Amino acid sequence: MDEQFRQMIYDTFSEVFETMFFTFLEPIDELSGAVALSADDDYIQANISYHGPESGRFALYLPQRLARNITMNFLGVEAGEVGEAQILDTAKETANMAVGSLLGRVDPGGEAKLHIPEAYLLDDFSAQELLEQPGALLFNTDFGALWVVFKN
Amino acid sequence: MAFNILVADDSATMRVVIKKTVEMAGVPVGEFFEAAHGKEAMEILERNWIDVVLSDINMPVMGGMELLSEVKKNDDFRHIPVVFITTESSEARMEEARQQGAAGYIKKPFQPETIKTILYDVLEKAFQHKIEAPPQPAADADDDDGMDF
Repeated sequence: MDEQFRQMIYDTFSEVFETMFFTFLEPIDELSGAVALSADDDYIQANISYHGPESGRFALYLPQRLARNITMNFLGVEAGEVGEAQILDTAKETANMAVGSLLGRVDPGGEAKLHIPEAYLLDDFSAQELLEQPGALLFNTDFGALWVVFKN
Repeated sequence: MAFNILVADDSATMRVVIKKTVEMAGVPVGEFFEAAHGKEAMEILERNWIDVVLSDINMPVMGGMELLSEVKKNDDFRHIPVVFITTESSEARMEEARQQGAAGYIKKPFQPETIKTILYDVLEKAFQHKIEAPPQPAADADDDDGMDF
């Protein structure tokens, strides 16, 4: 992944989280301590792909406590008012907004088609496996480590 | 005058957020209607009086561009302004929407003030009169994430 594309991912994901969820992302360039950062969390995976002149697929791995928190902020409700369906829906919408926003920058001609996102609870999350992916990026948040993996 | 507003988005959470944002903007709302895709939106349009449609583009079953096309070719609905609220933010997609008759375009992620500004402009153009909103604290509109046509 080239540095300019990596920076665009950082910028667009940060913009979505700050604007819609009032949550700040801290990019972490050094991944060596990343496994420990993710060790105590259960995770949700949200996937979205696009195709056109350029094709690709993004997978977001959100700690459940982060997903719950952004859902609360998004809806303006308290923790007890948020259910699993809303959390998964917010995870899907997060992927949709972040990658849609990114496509607006890398594909100004609008030739790429964004697909419908999906999200689900993960039974077995492995940060170690993500570390081995060349398109893996990591953000720290107040509610755990957010992983973003790009594949083309 | 209160407006009946139809929100079409496959995300139920986003529909709630848009509804809350419109309410916070002080737009006089008669009734809110919700659709998960364009086909459902067309069914609601057939059965109800709708003043404005706020629609996503990327939806299953029937997407927003097809919904716009269906609205504009129907003599009963073609007067209804359709505003896109979408992640599809390329200049080409915005131009395509404008040419097909969209009344406005709001990019996700959006600032609540952007929805307010564009919705008021669209409604005032469509209904040819000034809409009075309750006084609100001053805020700067961010015109970068949307436009009315």
